[in-house]
This record gives sequence, C-alpha cells and structure tokens, in this order.
Amino acid sequence: MAKCGPECEETLREIERFLDHEVDEVIRARVERHLSGCNECTDKATFRVHLKTLIQAKCTEHEIPDGLTDRLRTLLATAETGPDHG
Amino acid sequence: MAQTAQDDPALRERFERDVLPLLPSLYGAALRLTRNPADAEDLVQETYLRAYRGFAGFQEGTNLKAWLYRILTNSFINTYRKKQREPQTVEGPDDADEWYLFDRLGGQSVEGSAEDEVLDRIPDEAVKRALESLPENFRIPVLLADVEGFSYKEIAEIMDTPIGTVMSRLHRGRKALERALWQTAEERGLVDG
Repeated sequence: MAKCGPECEETLREIERFLDHEVDEVIRARVERHLSGCNECTDKATFRVHLKTLIQAKCTEHEIPDGLTDRLRTLLATAETGPDHG
Repeated sequence: MAQTAQDDPALRERFERDVLPLLPSLYGAALRLTRNPADAEDLVQETYLRAYRGFAGFQEGTNLKAWLYRILTNSFINTYRKKQREPQTVEGPDDADEWYLFDRLGGQSVEGSAEDEVLDRIPDEAVKRALESLPENFRIPVLLADVEGFSYKEIAEIMDTPIGTVMSRLHRGRKALERALWQTAEERGLVDG
C-alpha cells in the first residue's frame, strides 16, 4: 500500500474545513483534485461525511412534548413586557 | 418607549409565524444541552420569553435562527453552568489520534463498508448520550455545527467566541465524540474491543 505523501498530508490537514464547506475556492479545488486520484484520502473523507450525517440524523429530535406549543403561547400571552434594553 | 411584541399585533404575528416553527429544533438543542426533558422545556420557555421581549430589536431579514440560538446558548450558560459542575476540558488529541474512529473501525473487517455499518447500528439514544457526555465548551460547537448545520462564523457569533477558538473546540469536540462513540460501540459488543 502506498505511503501517504505530502499531498495526502496537506489534504488531510484541510479535510475537516473542506467537509464543513469552510475553505476558499483555491483550496477546495486542490482538495477535490487530490481526492479524485487518491483512494485512501477519499475513504477517510467518505467516512467523515458518513459520520457527520449519522450524528445529525441520530441527534435530531422529531417530537416535542405534548402541549409545549400551547404552554408557550400561554406564557407569551401573559408575559410582562419589561423595558427593552436591546 | 420601545415597541414590544406584546403591544404590537403585527410584531406578535410575525413572532408566531417565524419563531414558533423553530420550536422542534430549539427544543432538540435544549435537550442536548440540559440532558433532561424538564430542564429542556424550562430552557426553551426562557429562550422564547427573552426572544419575545427582544423581538422588536431583531432586524428582519437577518439570521433569525442564529439569533435564537444565541439567546438559547446564553440562557443555558447563565442558568445551568452554575448548576452543572463538570470539567471543561477534553483530553487533547495527539496527531496519532487524528483518525481515531476510522482507524479502529477499519480494523474490524477486511471489507471497506464495515465501518459504516457499525456506526449505523449504534442506537440513536446512545449517540445522543455520547454527544451529551462532552463538556459544554465542546458540546455546543459540535451541536451547532453537526446537528444544526451552522457555519463557523455563525457559531462564533452565537457563542460570542473568536472563530479560531470555535474551530479548535469543534475539532477537539469531534475527536472526543469519536472516542465516546467507540466506547459505546465496545460496550454494546458491536466491535471487538
């Protein structure tokens, strides 16, 4: 198996921000170019994408407690509006 | 005297239209922060009350979701940091730990897709507990980035923290989460320890 070269190291250093869509065009193009030719870095990137998707899917709540919306409406309707400091 | 949502019907209507639909998302975040439904509901109520009172000062067209999460996060920190005494550090990952979970899961099988399957088999509740196990300084950025999808810049604004600090906490928080997930997988016998 090929040893990771400097290009892999550089890619993996940027990979977190790349996957977070937080790199500029130049870096994005460079990372994409490297990934298109490197299976090992692609495996790692794919793994991270999967992990991120999974965390989002598994940690998202789809239900709120019964009556919470009504309790909030009541709370807001009776809320004393203090002086606005904002 | 400033207008408030209470004495301005148009503002109140806009609050109901724009802010109430975000309730499931805010409640979910409150649950991950407080770790229990009763406190999560209290936190959400406090957040909505503060948002309602400050809504006149919110500029329409700017980032409403980030504005609400900022109120939620501040309310949480002000109310619960005193209550929950916990260490605010995670073990710093060394460079060898950079691919902690990938390296370990990769060793589970010769087939390339086995890693993903192990992760998929961890129950939702266990992944939630793993996230909740992180100290809040690390849990908040991971929650905001990976569950809620906020950008670094938005997280910096929500947490009132420099962007560089957000990036380093997010990175370390994710590493800590990988370790927690590995531990969970081990405890459940999903991987060979």
